[in-house]
Amino acid sequence: MDDTHISLAHGNGGSYMRELIETLFARHLVNPLLNVQADAAALPFMDGIIMVTTDGFTVKPLEFPGGTIGSLAVHGTVNDLAVSGATPHYLTLNAFIEEGFEIVRLERIVASLASAAREANVAVVAGDTKVLPRGEGGGLYLAATGVGVKPKNVELGLNRIQPGDAILLSGPIGDHGIAVMLAREQFGLSGELLSDAASVFPLTQALVPLKGLRFMRDPTRGGLTTVLHEICRATGLEARLTQVAIPVREQVAAVCEMLGYDPFYLACEGRVVAVVESTQAREALARLQALPQGCQAAIIGSVNIGRAQVVLETELGGERILDELEDDPLPRIC
Amino acid sequence: MKDQQIIRQAEPQARRWLVGGRVQGVGFRPFVFRLAHRFSLTGHVQNTSSHVLIEAAGEENMLDAFGAALLAEAPPLARPEVVRAEKIFYRKRDRFEIIPSSATAKEGIHIPPDYFLCDDCKQEMLTPHNRRYRYPFINCTQCGPRYTLITKLPYDRPNTTMAGFELCPACRAEYENPCNRRFHAEPIGCADCGPQLFLSSPRGVIGGGPALAATVTALRQGEILAVKGIGGYHLMCDAHNEAAIERLRANKFRPHKPLALMFPWRGADGLEQVRQELEIDQDFLAQELLCSPARPIVLLRRRSKSMLAESIAPGIREIGAMLPYSPLHHLLLDELNKPVVATSGNVSGEPVLTYNIEAEARLAHVTRFFLHHNRPISRPADDSVCRVIAGKTRFIRAGRGVSPIELNLPGLFSRPLVAVGGHMKNSIALGWNGRAVVSPHIGNLDTPRSMAVFEQVISDFQRLYGVVPQAIACDAHRGYASSRWAARQDLPLVRVWHHHAHASALGIEHPLDLTWLVFTWDGIGLGEDGTLWGGETLLGRPGTWRRIASMHSFRLPGGERAGREPWRSAAALCWECGIDLAGEPDLALLKNAWGKGLNAPVTTAVGRLFDGAANLLELIGRASYEGQAGMYLENIADVETGRNTGVVDLPISRESSGLLIVDWKPLIPALLNKEVPVPQRAMQFHQSLARSIVAQVQRIHASTPFDRVGLTGGVFQNKLLAELAVSQLAAAGFNAYLPEKTPCNDGGIALGQLAEAAFSHG
Repeated sequence: MDDTHISLAHGNGGSYMRELIETLFARHLVNPLLNVQADAAALPFMDGIIMVTTDGFTVKPLEFPGGTIGSLAVHGTVNDLAVSGATPHYLTLNAFIEEGFEIVRLERIVASLASAAREANVAVVAGDTKVLPRGEGGGLYLAATGVGVKPKNVELGLNRIQPGDAILLSGPIGDHGIAVMLAREQFGLSGELLSDAASVFPLTQALVPLKGLRFMRDPTRGGLTTVLHEICRATGLEARLTQVAIPVREQVAAVCEMLGYDPFYLACEGRVVAVVESTQAREALARLQALPQGCQAAIIGSVNIGRAQVVLETELGGERILDELEDDPLPRIC
Repeated sequence: MKDQQIIRQAEPQARRWLVGGRVQGVGFRPFVFRLAHRFSLTGHVQNTSSHVLIEAAGEENMLDAFGAALLAEAPPLARPEVVRAEKIFYRKRDRFEIIPSSATAKEGIHIPPDYFLCDDCKQEMLTPHNRRYRYPFINCTQCGPRYTLITKLPYDRPNTTMAGFELCPACRAEYENPCNRRFHAEPIGCADCGPQLFLSSPRGVIGGGPALAATVTALRQGEILAVKGIGGYHLMCDAHNEAAIERLRANKFRPHKPLALMFPWRGADGLEQVRQELEIDQDFLAQELLCSPARPIVLLRRRSKSMLAESIAPGIREIGAMLPYSPLHHLLLDELNKPVVATSGNVSGEPVLTYNIEAEARLAHVTRFFLHHNRPISRPADDSVCRVIAGKTRFIRAGRGVSPIELNLPGLFSRPLVAVGGHMKNSIALGWNGRAVVSPHIGNLDTPRSMAVFEQVISDFQRLYGVVPQAIACDAHRGYASSRWAARQDLPLVRVWHHHAHASALGIEHPLDLTWLVFTWDGIGLGEDGTLWGGETLLGRPGTWRRIASMHSFRLPGGERAGREPWRSAAALCWECGIDLAGEPDLALLKNAWGKGLNAPVTTAVGRLFDGAANLLELIGRASYEGQAGMYLENIADVETGRNTGVVDLPISRESSGLLIVDWKPLIPALLNKEVPVPQRAMQFHQSLARSIVAQVQRIHASTPFDRVGLTGGVFQNKLLAELAVSQLAAAGFNAYLPEKTPCNDGGIALGQLAEAAFSHG
């Protein structure tokens, strides 16, 4: 491929497009099930409950410390399957590329996507490419669909949560939100802090065998608080957190402190919130901590009978209600 | 003709009075009974849920005299209003009697606040052979708890938290004797049948007199104690014991916020010990306030020779003082014979704790000494706090002894409304049938307990007053916990702009046909343009406010965090002026974010100007309580030398929209001018803002007439600024008003919301 930038011709169905797909996408994503000539992929028989999820990716910037929009597309899709109790197997991929996009940059992103897929042990089995006229896209958008299989005996869900259950968190919160924000705003000190974006499948795989596991979710947009609000809304129970137990990296805390952000609302892309029956909480914690990704895992609170609200027990012995995130929250007090 | 008149006078007549206002729970019926006997009348008096109904028969001149005395001689706590007086058919009766309450119409219900210990009861309590000698729960129809005791109406003993205490024969005799001053005094009791004290401490539990003695001993030894009073627990310790206060501060995580004091009642007027420590000699209004039945905390200047611990109010010359109001407080302070710290027994920002078990659990990190009693508190009421500003009593916090606050607003409400107030310093209000009732201070709505009390008070108010609201008024800020709660209810919602509510809470105290120019200066509140207002000048009247002038806007770096960190406002003010402060490399990230508008909302708040100024004068970096920076700045301002420092003129320009913009930027170089001593620069800052108020008033008045000038919003808790503005406005020929019924801070928001909602939707 001789061009340096994507043109509208790369999306018109002709030879430019074929060349782009074959030399760039297919080359990186190659696997036995991916056939660029076919209209549909044939998947082998899978025993268990087949789980499907789909997600779109519009992160800015496209490349950030610890990941790219490509790796994020894999991790985000795989994680939705993993927290549902499934083993992720296959992905499909749609790329919406803006006219004028640098091809070497596209290549870097696709390479990071491919590498994330290999690490997560999933195959990209189908895909599509569209080119948007200049000014109509943010450089690159991705959409992915994931297919996985859940064992028939694994039952997870908000409806299984009981009063007294423990809330576990697999690692420090806010790394992704802060790393991406620093990179997007070009604050120039993003080097030290990496996004936490990763497949959480090793973590969920460790927890799924536990009979007392009730529910798992990855705290992405809206962060930890938003997951807990979903729990409260669905169960009518109170989620009570102990502030000192919640791991937050020093750099994240420092940036939050300076810029006035609240880590409890920041996005993660490689963490799991798990609700576990209290007698198995220790066992669940030990299983998480045994994994490199879960070495900072903690029991951060519990689900209780009470008002359906998220309550943070602060370091100073007080209590604070963590409200649902608003769009661009305005200060209430000053 | 003459003969006929004589004959008519001789004939007995009958009349009926329907009396409203505050006539229940204040000894009004026994008073009517005694009055009827004095004028030889027969008939009866009866409580309905809302009024007192009197039917009396006798000679005409006696009836006239009786009717006049009903109002003129009413008991001190009663506020009777004759709703109707009419002649009725004469029917001969043998005697005058008090007949049982009837629970019917509810709309005229008045819930009295909690009262002090009256002189008669105090006398009995201190008389050795009285059967209530040293009984800490003595009361009568003229004193004692009400608001925190009532569970249902009408106000009868079974409908109070005294329901579980059965009267002994001696108390019952008083309760049933119409001529006794305890006739139907619902909360009465004695050592035999009433509530009891008990002290729970590391040494075990002891009751009665020894509990009180042990409490005094513990206070003397420097212990901190939680003491259950009328509206909740206090945390108490010796006000001369620096170490005890430091420990209280450390345990309560309250490093700087001033602590209130309770002084023993000493000397002929009770103020002897107050006088030794605080400047009150010339302040007759403050003296009267301290001794009033409401017994509020009054802010007074510390005397230079005061022995009070410095840590009571670090960095502040004023101290909040109160006198004992419950019999228990009297006994405790009498015995101790020195002032104590008496701060709310709560977790910071929450309503004061009221339940014994909850208090022990939630104050366990502060103290292990709890002086409990077994009279339940039906709902919390924090002590009220007042400051004398511009010659009048102004509430900083309206609570026990003052609230529920009532206003008569004839014809205002076409439908019953509930207003849920702000987010901080929350109170709620009901409006219906020409009346508005504002709850005591509830607290900051960030915590589960605050929200639980908030919901309880809303529900209790509706039930007690028998009002079913048809709409809810809330702040326009959707993130306030009160607004979120309101949006979850199944009622039409009226969202009220924060500063409109401030202006209306003031306007509603005055005739409604007046046009006002109101300065609404506060921390922050959501404005009509989506920015955070707080330096606005509004023109109009309740229901029709229009922003006519505003402070120049600036961005707050770090958003909500700026409220607790005055250095952020200082940095922003300097950056706006193109000035970089020393030591700023650390702030590169913040400045960068501020420049991009990242978590840096636009504001016009004068409260933040005060924060910035206090920080530029190096008085404070981070605040540990709301308003701290402003208080430090006011405190250090030197009125005498500052007068000569000169005033900084704040230019006013007109935007194309017609809005006047006041430029605060000239203040910054003046604040940074280290050649002028800090106290003078602080005074100059106050003077310049006051001058700006006058300049705005004059400029606007030249083109747009108005009747009155208003000053409201939390900034005007600043006595120095408020008094400078009022006096300079007076000199320029303008009468300026501050709120008198409710606090000028967010404690008044609920009342303002009611008014705005009433006007905006009929």
